[in-house]
Amino acid sequence: MLVKNKNWKWIIIFMIPITAMYTAFFIYPFGFVFFSSLNSWNGISSMEFVGFENYSKLLQASTLQISARNNIIWSLSLGFLQIGLATIIAFILARRPRFWKTLRTVYFVPKVISGVAIAMLWKAVYNAEYGALNAVLTLITGQEWSHNWLGAFNTALPAIIAQEVMYIGYFMIIILAGVMSIPTSYYEAAEIDGASVWQQETLITLPVVWGIIVTAMTLAMAYGLRHFEATFLMTGGGPGHSTSTLALMMYDKIGARKLGEASTIGTILVVVGFFVIVTLNKTLGSKSLTGEDQ
Amino acid sequence: MKTLRAVITNLVKWAYLLFFFAIAVLPLIWLILTSFKTEAEFNAYPLALPAVWQIQNYINAVSVAKMHVLFMNSVIIATTATLLNIMVTSLASFVVSREEFPFRQSLSNVIVAGVLMPIVAFMVPYLAIIRNLGLYDTRAALILTYAAINIPISFFLIKSFMVNIPKDLEDAAIIDGCSFLQRYTKVVLPLSRSGLVTAGTLTFIWSWNEFIYALLLTSSSSVRTIQLGISFFTTQFRSDYPSMYAAVVLAMIPSIIVYVFFHDKIISGLTAGAVKG
Repeated sequence: MLVKNKNWKWIIIFMIPITAMYTAFFIYPFGFVFFSSLNSWNGISSMEFVGFENYSKLLQASTLQISARNNIIWSLSLGFLQIGLATIIAFILARRPRFWKTLRTVYFVPKVISGVAIAMLWKAVYNAEYGALNAVLTLITGQEWSHNWLGAFNTALPAIIAQEVMYIGYFMIIILAGVMSIPTSYYEAAEIDGASVWQQETLITLPVVWGIIVTAMTLAMAYGLRHFEATFLMTGGGPGHSTSTLALMMYDKIGARKLGEASTIGTILVVVGFFVIVTLNKTLGSKSLTGEDQ
Repeated sequence: MKTLRAVITNLVKWAYLLFFFAIAVLPLIWLILTSFKTEAEFNAYPLALPAVWQIQNYINAVSVAKMHVLFMNSVIIATTATLLNIMVTSLASFVVSREEFPFRQSLSNVIVAGVLMPIVAFMVPYLAIIRNLGLYDTRAALILTYAAINIPISFFLIKSFMVNIPKDLEDAAIIDGCSFLQRYTKVVLPLSRSGLVTAGTLTFIWSWNEFIYALLLTSSSSVRTIQLGISFFTTQFRSDYPSMYAAVVLAMIPSIIVYVFFHDKIISGLTAGAVKG
């Protein structure tokens, strides 16, 4: 017990800063976002309790339906496509081909550059008049390309998602670490038994790192639900509301001084986020994401 | 027959690896090349190399966008946030990993579980907290927010280091007359330097690159961070794309420098966080 430890005063002093900051930025917001979602509030005058009115109003809004659909597309693209692509790279690099360390370092570079710079970069690539993508396509096909990738309804969302899905660096590194911790003796034994590389990967590597892959999938899908930055910067949700996401809609509500409604979307994000994390871990069977000590 | 198959497999493998290599670097190289071109050159031949490598765009970038102001704000905010974050999390990691007290384990679990929190959902609460503290539109607002958001990851990384420091070292220090405070400053902190650097690097890069809360919690250009600054460039530079790209390139440099020097730390930090779970 605390009183048994003669250093108890020091322990309290050392724990005060983290407790204060964690409470203010993680626990209190949790309650606040739910509480304010039940109110009509412009952020200046006091809140007015309206019950679940914000929820029923928002659930009927067409923008919310589009945004929710887009978030689902984001989550599935990141969770399955991106993790699939990253897993293949990790499996290849784990066999230590030539330059594997350089490749690992380079794949991660886009992840240390700011999201804003990356968004500006891809906006330039997708530009209708001067963009690199149209220039490259013109060069390859011999025909003049002037497609407005981010301005057209049918390509805006795929274009934003594609640039994010192809930056596999982060999840590749997580999965690679898992694969490389498998003892080489497993593979040596399999080799002696005549197992092909394909058999080794599917029967040894995949089952062993499955838990890590599920963790990566869960994180990627959670990111898909929270997506904001690239869309905000590249299209602002347009054309129309076709690329909008829940977080983007929440930001617009804050701008429109409808903080209660913004909190309603915030609450939906928190609840759906936890639901995704829990169900994915239950159905695909992974060890818990965090929580245990070692 | 077997060799032909091996050759094809090898080709496919390298095509796959190189495709993602190209995606990671080619757009970046194109942006850098463009930043050295004249506007007319860029409009006429978007893919060509610059005829004359000229730094006029960089001069424009600094003067039009006031890059030095944005840069200084980002340096101040990211550095202070990192120091605050490391101080707070190392104090807590020290007592959690070296002392016995009630609810120690549950406190630690709750803090680490914070990594799963969808921070973006907290726009309204954070805005309310920052306004109530009277910090809206100040550098302090971002320093506090960035330091707090990175608590779970830093706490996790530093604690994992401190747990593995042998208890004997501290016992010896106590016999030599070390106080509680000295055990922290003179024994445990120096020995967990590697963990502190990893956590600090991740927090710094995250803070340097952060955009959403910079957008939400500040409004005047005097406290604006570099990321927020470059998001306004489209309007500032009108159609002078090469100068705008020069500014974007300048904004990328610090993260790339940190990555070049600390990439081992960053990679090990990220993998420790994910694989242990």
